[in-house]
Amino acid sequence: MPGLGADLRIEARLIWGANDEKETVKYEPLDAGLSDKLHRTFKWKNYFEITNKNASIPLNQTGELKMSDACTIRVKNLGGSRVEVSCIGHGKQVHQGAYTLTPPQWLVLGGNDSSNTAWFIGLKAGDKNAPEPAKPVHTN
Amino acid sequence: MNQNLEFKLQAWLDGELSGSEAQAIEREVAADADVARLAAELRTVKSAMAGNETARVVPETREFYWSKIQRQIERESAQPAPARRMAVWRHWLSPLAGLAGLACILILAIKPGTPATFDEISSTGEGMEAVTFHDQSAGMTVVWLADSEREQPQIQSPAPKTEEGGSGVEVE
Repeated sequence: MPGLGADLRIEARLIWGANDEKETVKYEPLDAGLSDKLHRTFKWKNYFEITNKNASIPLNQTGELKMSDACTIRVKNLGGSRVEVSCIGHGKQVHQGAYTLTPPQWLVLGGNDSSNTAWFIGLKAGDKNAPEPAKPVHTN
Repeated sequence: MNQNLEFKLQAWLDGELSGSEAQAIEREVAADADVARLAAELRTVKSAMAGNETARVVPETREFYWSKIQRQIERESAQPAPARRMAVWRHWLSPLAGLAGLACILILAIKPGTPATFDEISSTGEGMEAVTFHDQSAGMTVVWLADSEREQPQIQSPAPKTEEGGSGVEVE
């Protein structure tokens, strides 16, 4: 568990859940680890990874992760594995919440997308022994 | 219809009644429309469950899986019962422990400058609802964002039902 004053390493993924066959979709299938977890809860046939980003966020700083043209995630490192997550869709904040991100637990935000599909954003605190990722733009 | 009759009906459908008891239930089913309706419903449920129950695969062999459960039961059964003296102490100390816990909570609550450590605090945009649920075994917390008037989480359902995106975020 990251200490109170440590940078928070975070992994963020934008995922698309659909019943489309893998061969007909231009995105890569999501890796089995997270895909299996989603399959346990949701009934979409396939999950595809749209974006995969890593960031290191200093204590009390906010990292902004642009997951797609329409979707941005802001993650504030509150210390002690606590984060404040803001989900912004089309420039408008649709959700904000404070959560505990303890590796290897995933925090998944999701919602319906068009044509019987769904979007998901998976967030996981990284292993502190992993290589240092590129730092994101800090908003404060 | 009384509960006893309902139980008998279930037992009859499961083939657990003796000849005379089974005949008595058969007469009830023939004579009473409510009983006949319930019997038909139970038959449907039974056949649906028998044919569609999800098979769970355990990582070990069946025998090893059950032997682990058996060993755990035996281990717990073999533990000595607490001594009478300990039970007496526990009887008196339990309320004190409760009071101590309450005191700790009060001290923490009124301690200035200590941030609250709620597990989750969230707010969702207007017209939206957030449903949060934890899947302990999968190690995953899900926050499902939905239009408060139109959508429900697509959990354990065959496929999403809405035709248009409604949660304010799109993948592209």
